[in-house]
Amino acid sequence: MRTRVDAKFKHELNKFGAEDWSHCFHCGNCTASCPLSENAALFPRKSLRSIQLGLKDKIISNPEPWLCYYCGDCSEKCPQGANPAELMKTLRRYLISVYDWTGLSRLFYTKHWFEIMVLLVFGIIVGVSLSIFNPNAIVYELNAAGGVKINEMFPVATIHLGDLIMAAFVSFFLISNILHMWYRVLLKPKISVPIYLYFTELFSLVYQFVSQSKFSKCDANGRKYWASHWLLMSGYTIMFVLVVVFLPFFQTETIYAWYEPQRLLGYYSTFGILFGLIYFSIGRIKKSTEKFKFSHLADWLFIILLFLTLLTGILVHFFRIYGLVEFTYYMYILHLAILVPMICIEVPFSKWSHLAYRPIAIYLFNLKKKAENRSYETNPELAVN
Amino acid sequence: MKEKKNTAIYFCNQTNGHSKSIILEDIKVFAREKLGVQVIWEEPDIPLIDPRAMADILQRYGIDRIILAGISPGFTKSFFSRALKLAGKKPENINLAIFKKSDSVLPDNTSYAKVALTCAYHHQNLDQYIKVEKKPLNSNTLVIGGGIAGIQASLEIANGNQKVYLVEKSPTIGGHMAMFDKTFPTLDCAACILTPKMVDVGQHSNIELMTYSEVVDVKGDVGNYTVSILQKARRVDLSTCIGCGTCSEKCPAKTASEFDANTTLRKAIYIPFPQAVPNKYLIDEEHCIYVQNNGKCGVCVKFCPVTDCIDLDAKDKVVEIEIGQIILATGFKVFDAGKMEQYAYGKLPNVLTSLELERLVNAAGPTGGNITGRSQDKKGNWVFLPENPVPDRFAIIHCIGSRDDNYNKYCSKVCCMYSLKLAHLIKEKLPEALVDEYFIDMRAFGKGYDEFYERIKEEGIHMIRGRTAKIEASGNALKLRSEDMLNDRLIEKNYDMVVLSVGLEANSDNSKLSSLLSVPLDENGWFMEKDSLTDNENTHTSGIAIAGLCQGPKDIPDTVAQASSAASSILQNIHNKNLYKQPEADVYEKIINQIMIQSRLKEEQI
Repeated sequence: MRTRVDAKFKHELNKFGAEDWSHCFHCGNCTASCPLSENAALFPRKSLRSIQLGLKDKIISNPEPWLCYYCGDCSEKCPQGANPAELMKTLRRYLISVYDWTGLSRLFYTKHWFEIMVLLVFGIIVGVSLSIFNPNAIVYELNAAGGVKINEMFPVATIHLGDLIMAAFVSFFLISNILHMWYRVLLKPKISVPIYLYFTELFSLVYQFVSQSKFSKCDANGRKYWASHWLLMSGYTIMFVLVVVFLPFFQTETIYAWYEPQRLLGYYSTFGILFGLIYFSIGRIKKSTEKFKFSHLADWLFIILLFLTLLTGILVHFFRIYGLVEFTYYMYILHLAILVPMICIEVPFSKWSHLAYRPIAIYLFNLKKKAENRSYETNPELAVN
Repeated sequence: MKEKKNTAIYFCNQTNGHSKSIILEDIKVFAREKLGVQVIWEEPDIPLIDPRAMADILQRYGIDRIILAGISPGFTKSFFSRALKLAGKKPENINLAIFKKSDSVLPDNTSYAKVALTCAYHHQNLDQYIKVEKKPLNSNTLVIGGGIAGIQASLEIANGNQKVYLVEKSPTIGGHMAMFDKTFPTLDCAACILTPKMVDVGQHSNIELMTYSEVVDVKGDVGNYTVSILQKARRVDLSTCIGCGTCSEKCPAKTASEFDANTTLRKAIYIPFPQAVPNKYLIDEEHCIYVQNNGKCGVCVKFCPVTDCIDLDAKDKVVEIEIGQIILATGFKVFDAGKMEQYAYGKLPNVLTSLELERLVNAAGPTGGNITGRSQDKKGNWVFLPENPVPDRFAIIHCIGSRDDNYNKYCSKVCCMYSLKLAHLIKEKLPEALVDEYFIDMRAFGKGYDEFYERIKEEGIHMIRGRTAKIEASGNALKLRSEDMLNDRLIEKNYDMVVLSVGLEANSDNSKLSSLLSVPLDENGWFMEKDSLTDNENTHTSGIAIAGLCQGPKDIPDTVAQASSAASSILQNIHNKNLYKQPEADVYEKIINQIMIQSRLKEEQI
């Protein structure tokens, strides 16, 4: 295979975060201390090597950065302070920008002001157009239970239509990017994968997405990353599905009793997201462990936007129950003005996309591993006894 | 007044050891502000290829005179005189400012360079300003530390017919070398080389040996010191003890033996090892029942065949000695492997440090040279017993505590080689055993060392490139996880014994000596040498030399060589009968002012 050395690659990569990787002197401590590295995926050291050598193509076709969940063991024990864990994260950012064919992701990651401006402008457009073009405007009549008639303010059919359009927009970009990833990982390096493998490995894709069992291996020395992350992830996913697919069941005039599934699921998601957000933001503020030492703008936007969406959502819920008409109206608009840009910008082009990329990358990695059928059985001479 | 010539300074960048310690930026600022020279060039700025081009430049700037500055600026003189001639100026208008420092009163190389530059600018003779004042010297020498470095230095000076006081903190001289089984790369027996030298020291008429003693205070100035030495009470009379060992046999108190790297137990009244110098018993007061329990034992006194030999109530005493010069040879301590929790040293019995293995393979070691596993005895001590199972899978892990930002950044220099040696010793005793070495980079740097490495590889020892991440217990075995870089895989493998090749660290009491003698320590706690390339056996204080590990990690041949050169510089000073005076703090400003005054006087005369 022809290998191209890109001498400027390191400068390109440094824009995405970590810069300490050049300290690495290849002792292999990181790979050996990683609970997730295996013979078929010797990371993070080999990725560092590829970067030092400027092997850009190799980095792009390599799904290994997605196998890392950032426990920070490698950075903690690194004798040279090369921060391999942060490098893996930087690589994930870089890969997101590579998979994204529009080039927007790259702009968002490397030009912080641009990302903030786009979010702000997008939010203002959504907010203003909702307050101007909403035909129903503020409705002062309350329903039988004394709550706000939300569907007369914002007809559920219209909002649902908007949801579906947004979902289609996001899916289009995400799916095309995932196809691009598939092309980069399997097609371009000419790894021929038997078709049946795509189906047999499908279970592991679903299983990894739901359980995130790989991440649980990172929980050692009293770390509780898996549970916190799982709460956040599951809460977010449930909320997303509820809002996008089941909005007609969710946004109704009847205010359900607390034990009805609509409300229980809503409460669970709210709790999950809130718990995860608080756990991760405390970590990032205190910089208590390796995982939280370095925070990119994307990490903070991820937390802040989600938190604001959640907060406005909770307020809408309570204003509506207690019949505060004007508050409900404007809070709903604010909620959408934060939520819509967050979903449209962050999900396909920024940190949110890892929700899709990570399980897909693990799936592609499994395909690659099985397809190449590299027998990594240990050498009998050095076999595990 | 004469018309002032337009002067330029040209810095020749001959990068070598000296110029690193010269801060060029400082000197440029000095030339601009104090000397008023505005045109300053540096070697890469203007290439010295074509004198015609240079002449053009000289004309453009209107330069009549050039000062060539640098370590050896004379090289460029012919070029510039030709350029001056081509430019229509006087070719002899060139002055040299030579930064190559000989002995001078100036404290550092940068201020020396500034003085040299000022002298060149003012047409003054440099030597008359930097001449050093000398002081009479006491010919006695104090050597601190009785390891191989201290022994070698003491013997050389004593053989040069001068008096030496050798002060050693522990009860015997010999240091770490006495603990080693073999030396690399020749596999000579360490004790066979060292013990004759130790005996020489003990018997030499010019050496006054003070073991179990510490330097507590130093008074006086360069060339004449009064040193207070605390002599800890041995509680056994050195002159009457016949070394029969009865006392030790009967002593009821036991503790870990320092000499055996805590792998065996010794009594509270003991002799560190059979070849110790002085070969006399002593009492370790921390573990002596009599000392700790206020006179409720005294078994040793009862059984001692010599009357009044053991004095259990003896007290420490401080003696003062007059000396002129000092050699620091305080050695090192090994890295505390327990700090690296991932290797479970101190938790798993069969994780050893290299020093422990060194004792274990030694014929005088805990098992008489048979390699066995370690187990716990009834009292909870970890001991090697002959009946313990013989391990047959060994891993040796390099760079423990060395080349690691979290511990010590530097390479300890000897670990690769001693690890190879230990691998060989294991293979020699247990030919069927599996021995794997986990290394990062193999540093076999000396004469015969790389050949030794090749030989070890041929002996069937596996070299695995990758730093081990952790060691865990797995049944009776030790599970080790590492990357095997050269074979592109991860290794998770069980071993019976894991040896940690611990690095070397500066002794923690170096800082005390450093402040007593005003010899600076470097960032890692080693004593700072005067110049790392050409003067690494002397310190910035004249009359205080350094030898061996206390200056930085090195192996035995380098230690001995440095000790000898330290001794030779001491003997040099004794031969000259006097010593340079310590430079004063403001000497530099004084000299610059002096030059200015002199040059003004000269100008006025004209």
